[in-house]
Amino acid sequence: MIQATKTLYQYRELLYTLAWKDVTVRYKQAYLGMAWAILQPLALMLIFTVVRSFVGIETPDGVPYPILTFAALMPWTFFQQSVTNGVSSVVSNTALVRKIYFPREIFPITAVIVKLIDLGFSFIILAGLMVFYRMMPTLHILWVIPILVYAVLMALSVSMLGSAINVYYRDVAAALPLALQLAMYVSPIIYPLSLVHRKLIEQQALGEWSNAVYQLYLLNPLVGLIDGFQRAVLYGKPPEFSTLWPGILTVVVLLTIGYRVFKRAENFFADAI
Amino acid sequence: MPIIEVNHLTKRYQLGRQLTIKRTLVDMTDRLRGRDVPKPKLFEALHDVNFTINEGEVVGIIGHNGAGKSTLLKMLSRISTPTEGTVRIHGTVAPLIEVGAGLVGDMTGRENIFLNGAIMGVPKAVIKEKFDDIVAFAELEKFVDTPIKRYSSGMQIRLAFAVATSVDPDILIVDEVLAVGDLAFQRKCFDRMERLIKDQGKTVLLVSHNIRQVERLCTRVILMDHGQIVADGDPTEVCNLFYSQNNEKIKAGKTAFSKNQRIHHTGGGEVVRVALQNSSGESVESVEVFKSVRIQVEFDLHEHLDHMVVAASIHTTDFFYLAVFRQDPQVCPPGRYLYEVEIPEMLLLPGVYCISAGLWQGDAHAVIFHGETLLTFTVDPNPERPIYSAFDGIFAMPAERRLSGQAQPANVEAGWGENV
Repeated sequence: MIQATKTLYQYRELLYTLAWKDVTVRYKQAYLGMAWAILQPLALMLIFTVVRSFVGIETPDGVPYPILTFAALMPWTFFQQSVTNGVSSVVSNTALVRKIYFPREIFPITAVIVKLIDLGFSFIILAGLMVFYRMMPTLHILWVIPILVYAVLMALSVSMLGSAINVYYRDVAAALPLALQLAMYVSPIIYPLSLVHRKLIEQQALGEWSNAVYQLYLLNPLVGLIDGFQRAVLYGKPPEFSTLWPGILTVVVLLTIGYRVFKRAENFFADAI
Repeated sequence: MPIIEVNHLTKRYQLGRQLTIKRTLVDMTDRLRGRDVPKPKLFEALHDVNFTINEGEVVGIIGHNGAGKSTLLKMLSRISTPTEGTVRIHGTVAPLIEVGAGLVGDMTGRENIFLNGAIMGVPKAVIKEKFDDIVAFAELEKFVDTPIKRYSSGMQIRLAFAVATSVDPDILIVDEVLAVGDLAFQRKCFDRMERLIKDQGKTVLLVSHNIRQVERLCTRVILMDHGQIVADGDPTEVCNLFYSQNNEKIKAGKTAFSKNQRIHHTGGGEVVRVALQNSSGESVESVEVFKSVRIQVEFDLHEHLDHMVVAASIHTTDFFYLAVFRQDPQVCPPGRYLYEVEIPEMLLLPGVYCISAGLWQGDAHAVIFHGETLLTFTVDPNPERPIYSAFDGIFAMPAERRLSGQAQPANVEAGWGENV
């Protein structure tokens, strides 16, 4: 890992240039330009708000549902898009892989980092919503910074593993949309975490299994990420460690495996791609 | 001190089977059930290659297609990893393996220069400093702010080459990049390469099919064949070895009269026999330099031709015509004819050559028959009048030579003596 950080520093200029290339190319011929970056969470927010009016999802603590779900959609959209981008990053750079050497992790890292820019744009919408609902951010909003670092590492762990395997089995990229769709439903996006907490812990809805299932649910790192983000931005509270740690464990394990697999597979990318 | 060390380098590729999840799963279950899983066929692109390269050497790598040159370069530039053996490199490497990798069509020339520079590992500051140079070299001043998808392919390659050669590494690896653009630009590229090599004392590895270029630029040449090093040493010697191998190969494939010939005829007549005879009238397939030789072309005419031209010519194996022996127009009734060309002295230098023959009719030279490579023959060195080799040019031009000053004839060494 230390070695990885070192090479990253060494190749920072390339990283920056490739990211800049991705962004320029994407928006060069798109009339709406950067607006596309915020359209997805915005549209989903509207859809969820409408759906909620039919099915009735409880939001216990007085934060309006649209902004609550938007604050969940922001880290989610970042994760979903950066992973999609990251998993196909090596294969979509076939020409470079076959012709020029530089550490291959540059590809997934660039793919993930680029999506931070989109995330940055949706902060503008978030700010607008907060003004609309008359919510004041507190100093705890600074928690957003470590939370975003966590989000990047999370996306990177999946991207490293996925992009390496995708070189050998293109099935990975094909299966990814479905997997992400499922991930969205097992993450507190449409519904808040407090709802899950109430059902499983307070009402013990699954009987003796309830606590175990809740811990299992927390192993999904997106749970801690989204909850932490919402707490820092909307509730003015620090993230809750008890919610975070199972997910952090998952990320650490995934990142270690992902990095190892990537580094091993890397040597044969040019032959297999 | 060696800057590149290659030890027992072997590279194998899997042949045939594409890796898929289905395939892997099937193989896995088969293995679990104790059944035999067909081993993938392996192709050895490189076999036990060893060499070291010292700082400042300019090494050319030549060989036929599939000899393993590009695979070797991929190993040296870390794009691919050896199956066995090691590659040690002490210094930074800039691989110019196919210029133009990583050009992006949607971006402008200016943006692509920075992007390509970053990919090649050139710091942005350096690119900025050299920017005007790069643009001027690529002759793209007017187009720097146009997306390069609107460029012609030549313009794109010029841009890429200009960026690539602004890299400043310890070791430069160059694969076939000089064969880009039109002739004028190729010339320019060649000059720039030569300057990089000669003035800056860089260690350079050059792979090319342009053997003349390799011979001229390199201080050492490695000849590869079937993944192994066949020869390694003095550029002229190794290149000559490669040439003679090539010619052997061509000759071997040419013994049959019908193979590889390019024949074009319209039915009015045809060449039935082409032969080469020595001074005593025997048919031969080789002739010594400066010996007399006769070309015979026997042909049938099926129609009466009132303006028939017959010709025999000598060309190289790659159809570079060296001499044409044409007869003045004749009036010819149908029948069999023999056309003979007497050559008192074979002035071509040792090598492999071919004879072609043709029949034409009328002022407009309408083709009746034209066949190339109808006969392949060699010119051998003449022991009485030793000449350097085929590689001193193409032919021995008769000349009077004088050296003024205080020269004394030196002791004649073997193979470097009296000529022509």
